[in-house]
Amino acid sequence: MPGVDLLFLATALAYLIAAALFIRFLLGTESGVSRVTPSAGYLLLAAACMHAAHICWYSLVLHICPVNGLHFPLSVAAMFTAVVYVGMRTRFRIDAAGALVAPLALTTLLASRFMSGGALAPTPGVKSAILPLHVTMNLLGIALFSLASSTAVLYLLQENRLKAKRLSGLFERLPSLDDLDRAEHRLLLAGFLLLTVGVLTGTLWATKVDAVSSSLLRTVLGYITWLLVATVLALRASLGWRGRRAAYGTLAGFAFSMMVLSVYLLRAGVP
Amino acid sequence: VIIVVGVSHRTAPLEIRERYAVSTDQMPALLARLSSLPGNPEVLLLSTCNRVEAMLRPTLTTPSLAELATLAKQVLYEHARQAGNAETNLYAITGDAAIRHVFRVTSSLDSLVVGEPQILGQVKQAAEFAKASGTLRGLLARSVDRAFTVAKRVRTETEVGAGTVSVSSVAVDLARHIFGGLGAHTVLLVGAGEMAESAARALGKEARGIRVCNRSIERAAELASQFGGSASSLETLEDELVHADIVVTSTASQSHIVSPALVKRVMRARKGRTLFLVDISVPRNVSPDVHEIDNVYVYNVDDLERQAAGALSARGSEVTKAEQIVESEVANFHKWLRTLDLQPMIVSFRARTHAVLTSELERSLGTRLKHLPEADRAALSQMIESATNKLVHAPIAKLKEKAEAQEEGDFVRTLAELFELGDPGASSSAASDANGDESARPRRVTH
Repeated sequence: MPGVDLLFLATALAYLIAAALFIRFLLGTESGVSRVTPSAGYLLLAAACMHAAHICWYSLVLHICPVNGLHFPLSVAAMFTAVVYVGMRTRFRIDAAGALVAPLALTTLLASRFMSGGALAPTPGVKSAILPLHVTMNLLGIALFSLASSTAVLYLLQENRLKAKRLSGLFERLPSLDDLDRAEHRLLLAGFLLLTVGVLTGTLWATKVDAVSSSLLRTVLGYITWLLVATVLALRASLGWRGRRAAYGTLAGFAFSMMVLSVYLLRAGVP
Repeated sequence: VIIVVGVSHRTAPLEIRERYAVSTDQMPALLARLSSLPGNPEVLLLSTCNRVEAMLRPTLTTPSLAELATLAKQVLYEHARQAGNAETNLYAITGDAAIRHVFRVTSSLDSLVVGEPQILGQVKQAAEFAKASGTLRGLLARSVDRAFTVAKRVRTETEVGAGTVSVSSVAVDLARHIFGGLGAHTVLLVGAGEMAESAARALGKEARGIRVCNRSIERAAELASQFGGSASSLETLEDELVHADIVVTSTASQSHIVSPALVKRVMRARKGRTLFLVDISVPRNVSPDVHEIDNVYVYNVDDLERQAAGALSARGSEVTKAEQIVESEVANFHKWLRTLDLQPMIVSFRARTHAVLTSELERSLGTRLKHLPEADRAALSQMIESATNKLVHAPIAKLKEKAEAQEEGDFVRTLAELFELGDPGASSSAASDANGDESARPRRVTH
């Protein structure tokens, strides 16, 4: 078995164990436990590092840029998500989000491997220097949206428990509402900035290669996503749309960004 | 012999219980109404977060206990109806079960948070109030005193109160689940009573600041000064709500002072920032509909106590021990009641013996011993007292022993016959009068 495959397996295994540890923490029945075991965080970090190494190694073997095509971008987005989560986990006290992030990273890693069966380079006619920047920004944006939507899900769970006054089990393990809301807002804001760059570079690139008409659906969905997230952020700043409404807005923004990604995935051979 | 009528956390939700709640202002009138019911009952009225109960002990044979219970229920229901729909099943407990209930309540075994220490103070306060109003006297007063002794035994002989989680600490824990750390958040106390003070003590350690909003600004300032906070009057409540994040309400208001409309305005001004309201007052100060507003969380005393009860570690064996103490005390109380019933017989027996001996002595002193000086006559009187005591001691001890074993019937009749003490059935009739209320009563209720 080639070394690159071993690295892939090790990465998947590390994600799997980290996911199991985070899920066990979240669904555990032991009372008074509010933090996940430290090994879960270290394992997720190790998995993200191996994941990065795997992407580099694989791209070197295949001689392609990691942000080109379909195969790598998915994998890169998952790796970014894990790295950003590990970086902010302690600061925002969002241990419970690991139970969503680790399985998401694992699923995306496996999907990227088995869906397309190899890297797909963009057609020569649409190659441009802006393209890697466009893809990178969008991938990072999606990574941050994934994290924002993970915290939004946790927020809705915790909020639901507080409203229903069910204050045991999962409630004790979930982060505080304010921590979740703050993390979700910052992730969404950061993702929005990256998405803005992604949309701008995408528009520029599409105009340059005259690809607007050929990818109209993708373009429209991209603009809708940007507008939706912009609206959520603007309403929060102006009318105080926080908490549940902001969480639903974040999830809607993430859903649209996934739709854009799906259009990419369904149209093989197109960047 | 005692009747307990009321509602508790076991039988009615907070929205019903709060309508039965009796404020200090309402207490004298309600006590007077209950004590003027037919049967001329002694009365104690207890109104806490967990329960509203009237304890009555009729001093006349009519009406029956069941009828008196119905009348007392009507009085409580009419009181509650003034505050809104109060439809619920008020319970009535009589006999040994009533005594057991009083002991359990006072010992905190019937509280939502078993072992919580406040209930003993609340019963003492209610007893003082009823004594001052003249409705707690006689046998009921002695039963309540006995309940305090039982509660003390439970406290000292078991660990039932150990590790009890207070309502304030549950509120702090909840605040942490909502806000994370409390260091950046302000606490607002609406009301400046003991409960507010206790909440301030728990929350004040971590919060950024404490503000006190009260009807009396002087009292607000006094409380605020203890925690380095600021004070304001109740008129500024809306402004205060805009700036505070954790609000503890504990006023004696009989209606909601925090309405959904008010909170909606406040939330607009707060730009949706989370607001946590802890309503520890009964009746509630915060409308339950406020909980439905986005980013607003309202927890009342039942919610907090339920959480506190759930947080307690397993203390089943300690509760069992406490229940055993209560049972033994109920049995002791029962024995005491039976000996109490024999008191007139004992008094009569002693008086009869004393009278016979005194009469013989006086006859002798008038004839053969009339030469005796005063000092010798006094010595003889003293001798008669001692002789009386020695003569009656053994039969009385036996009588009490039989009474405790509930076998005194034949013995009482024989004693009455031998010493011509009259109708033994009447011996118990004035028992409580001899031990309790000295006021004249036509007849006593038997149990």
